[in-house]
Amino acid sequence: MGELARMKFYCDDQRCIDCDGCSVACAEAHELPTGVSRRKVITLNEGIFGKEFSTSVACMHCTDAPCEQVCPVDCFYIREDGIVLHDKEICIGCGYCLYACPFGAPQFPRDGAFGTKGAMDKCTMCAGGPEETNSAKERELYGQNRISEGKVPVCAAMCSTKALLVGDGQAIADIYRKRVASRGHGVQSSPYGWGSAYGK
Amino acid sequence: MKKYLLFLVSSLFVTSVAFAADSQIWGDMRLEDILGYGQAESTKLGPLFTMLQSNYFAKAFLVVLVGVPLVFLIHYLIIGPKVFSHDGKKIYAFSLLARVIHQIAAISFMVLVPSGFIMVFGSTFGGGEFVRMMKDLHGLATIPFAIVVIPMFVIWVKDMFIHWDDIKWLMIVGGYLSRKKNPVPAGKFNAGQKTWYWLATLGGVVMVLTGASMYFMDFDIAMLREITGLSQIDILRAAAIIHNIVGVLITALFFVHIYMAVFAIKGAVNGIITGYKEEEEVKILHSSWYKKLKKQGKI
Repeated sequence: MGELARMKFYCDDQRCIDCDGCSVACAEAHELPTGVSRRKVITLNEGIFGKEFSTSVACMHCTDAPCEQVCPVDCFYIREDGIVLHDKEICIGCGYCLYACPFGAPQFPRDGAFGTKGAMDKCTMCAGGPEETNSAKERELYGQNRISEGKVPVCAAMCSTKALLVGDGQAIADIYRKRVASRGHGVQSSPYGWGSAYGK
Repeated sequence: MKKYLLFLVSSLFVTSVAFAADSQIWGDMRLEDILGYGQAESTKLGPLFTMLQSNYFAKAFLVVLVGVPLVFLIHYLIIGPKVFSHDGKKIYAFSLLARVIHQIAAISFMVLVPSGFIMVFGSTFGGGEFVRMMKDLHGLATIPFAIVVIPMFVIWVKDMFIHWDDIKWLMIVGGYLSRKKNPVPAGKFNAGQKTWYWLATLGGVVMVLTGASMYFMDFDIAMLREITGLSQIDILRAAAIIHNIVGVLITALFFVHIYMAVFAIKGAVNGIITGYKEEEEVKILHSSWYKKLKKQGKI
């Protein structure tokens, strides 16, 4: 990663084999409660020959993140490398970020007998939260902070087919271009989901 | 009434059972929602909500919060309140049932409106525990309002249909732009009160339903999706948009209602507390009703 690294996710739906490993790895690494999956693998057109594909979705850490724009309590902050994080102690669990999100990323664990929505939870790109880096509190609220240790986010680190990539947007785009060229047939001009997340 | 309560309780139960079912937001629907977001053939409710919430809703609420009281302050200073004799005869206007129902709704509103404002301006209050508590209060105060809103609609509906007097009333803005005590054309309720009635009851039901949708969020009512033709996430987006727009209107008229009852017509608030209005007040501000009562020999 250079100085101007802009962290992005990309899931290659030609390589994703619906193994669910990324989702399980994420849930285990961050000790997420049941009912919350920061990353999820979804299969579309199941059983339709030639049209079936699977992909892994989570927070895309968008440019001009819509969640950050609509939050009534301003609990979001965007790091210099583009990672979109939020402060769970400020979040009131209103749900507006979910309505704004193109990817359905924000989730709300239910606590209490009346099904009150708790603070929002979403993918942190394994970069923790506003608490002291690698503190017990950060781990408790946001899960592991692997980025601070120079590690790749756990979902992409374990992806067996290397469908799920994360890193500097420029590097990801280069890999994408090589893959498209090697396949030798027409594929969309930019990685799936990038239009919504990072603009054209 | 019993049936109505039973319906409320059972519908809450049904929605809570629905939580156990497959998520309509984070389940298989999620990818279709992603692919549809902002696309030409989609509802575009996601980008619409984002645009409205980030640019307009808080501003509109600020205009209501500052603008409406400012207009009234100017009105109070230039034209001043209407003062009627409180020593004369009284006219019985509101039954005990009507007063109890109104007071329950009034107390709910006194919680709903400030807690709603605190959420809209949540960043000013720093978010966190305090604003979260206001969000929970906002939900709790909805329960008594939801119980009385339909009875309130029923007890007053017969007096609330539009009448010639209402047009005349609107032409002179209810006589509030003049200091003179000329009889104002109005029945038991004037055009302003009627507008507030329709907005508070029908609008109130809309607020309860849209608010409950956002509160319960991941409920599964297939009928609702079939009727609206929207996905769950789009229902929530539509609910948020409607809740904010109707909320702006209701809070604006709520301020008007309070100004009229407490400041603009001195002591008018006693009418809904004791049930009796001052005879002079009725004679001037509800002249058609006064004539009707006189004809019937009730005064």
